[in-house]
Amino acid sequence: MATEAKYENVWELEEGEIRKPGIAHIVALALFTGIGIVVGTFGSLAVPIGFVSAFWPGQAIQAVGSIWYGMWGGIAAFLFPLISNAMSGSAPLPVSMAYIPGNFVQGIAAGWIFRQLKLHPALKYGRDWLWFTVVGILAANAFGAFWGTWVLRLFGLITPDSHLVAWAGWFMGNSVASWVLGVLLLKFLSPLVVKTKAFCKGYWA
Amino acid sequence: MEQTVAVATPTSVAVPPQRKMRRTLLGTVPVQSPLYQLHPVTRLFTLLFLGVISLFILIPEINIALIILILIYLRWAKVDISGLKIYLPLTVTVAIFMFSVSIAFPTIKPEYHPFVFLGITFYYESLFFTFASYWRLMAMLFGTIQYFSTNRERDTLVGIRTLKAPFVVTYFFSLALRSAGMFLEDMRTIREAERARGLDESSMALRDRAKLYAMYMIPLFTLAIRRTDEISNALFARGYTISGRLEDGVKRSDYILTLYKIRTVDKVLITLMVTSFVLVGILQIVYGTFSMEHSPLFKLLLSLFN
Repeated sequence: MATEAKYENVWELEEGEIRKPGIAHIVALALFTGIGIVVGTFGSLAVPIGFVSAFWPGQAIQAVGSIWYGMWGGIAAFLFPLISNAMSGSAPLPVSMAYIPGNFVQGIAAGWIFRQLKLHPALKYGRDWLWFTVVGILAANAFGAFWGTWVLRLFGLITPDSHLVAWAGWFMGNSVASWVLGVLLLKFLSPLVVKTKAFCKGYWA
Repeated sequence: MEQTVAVATPTSVAVPPQRKMRRTLLGTVPVQSPLYQLHPVTRLFTLLFLGVISLFILIPEINIALIILILIYLRWAKVDISGLKIYLPLTVTVAIFMFSVSIAFPTIKPEYHPFVFLGITFYYESLFFTFASYWRLMAMLFGTIQYFSTNRERDTLVGIRTLKAPFVVTYFFSLALRSAGMFLEDMRTIREAERARGLDESSMALRDRAKLYAMYMIPLFTLAIRRTDEISNALFARGYTISGRLEDGVKRSDYILTLYKIRTVDKVLITLMVTSFVLVGILQIVYGTFSMEHSPLFKLLLSLFN
């Protein structure tokens, strides 16, 4: 009890507070998807090695989106790569569609751990940093890269023997850029976001 | 009594008529483009057709033909093809990546044909598979890029609405595509404001420039978050709900759809695209008609080994 009290809990509902999904969440989802399109396209074009980008800060948008907007952020996490991959030319539509489960898990992992452990979105305490790094970035990207490289194999874009190398490149390229951008966004913007009505204390509202 | 009025004589300098251009998601297209004779839903089908059909085709000749067809289509639509130059580095680096991986980590099977070149052992089937996969990828990419090069957010919106997608889906898509544009406009404003205050990016080290770009994210996100509140309040004030219906349950009228009519040519083209797609899919899944082994080039090169 004493341990829980020393951490500020932004996820707890106030007395009498009712939160329901509404138009604000759709708007937040759309705006976040739009931002993801730009950041994802920029990331894919910055170091253009096609489907295995050596630098993809888009994962930061996915992780931060699910922390702030719960499942809406998770939806944005798999929707925006469909468009950003197409616009940057890094993956055609069928490949992007096959990425959907990987992108969803890659995005929602951070939102899930923050809600489970009642972590602070503004990374106020050491444990927030730890879990964001371990689950929101490392574990999420490890899974995303695992899924993504299997998709590449399925489409014949990499050979089975190169699977591990492709996975490592994908994992490193996503993790570093995402950690830097994710920390910046959470640290500076979370105090503002938690006060808005689109912020989700639960998964949908 | 007649009055004389001094009239300025026109100068003899010929001014070329300005071509009106329409800004699309990835470039600009003349307003007079014949492409705009087609209904937006037909153009949306070209994305689904050209962007996905190569999934069933592993014969490089067909995929190269599809790319040529797409370029002809863009030329016919009067799209400035030079705008596609931004994808040139990508097409080259993807090829380098795919072939390097294929050469360094080849798939080896006993029935494959090895050959040695410059001291490196290559496996013909593995190499040709990479070649075929590369052209399949390129065909799907060009199929996707052609859509974004020729259509605006509004066209996508009309296309989706014509397919009777729920209001919330169409609203989401239109706002998402629009917000990508707003995000870029905000970024331009911030950069211009910085330059007006004397910031010279060209004199900055690459590391500092990267840091600067990361720091752009804070004001950009702040603007976007504030906009979320403004837009949702505006929608609420206008009586919008997630279902898209008015309070009394009546369906909201859709003005924009009344501006576009589906003509016979649209119906014919959509039917052709859907039929060919299904046909190619069935032929490949059931009979393997479009697998690599049926490629004339594959057979020709293989005959050299035999």
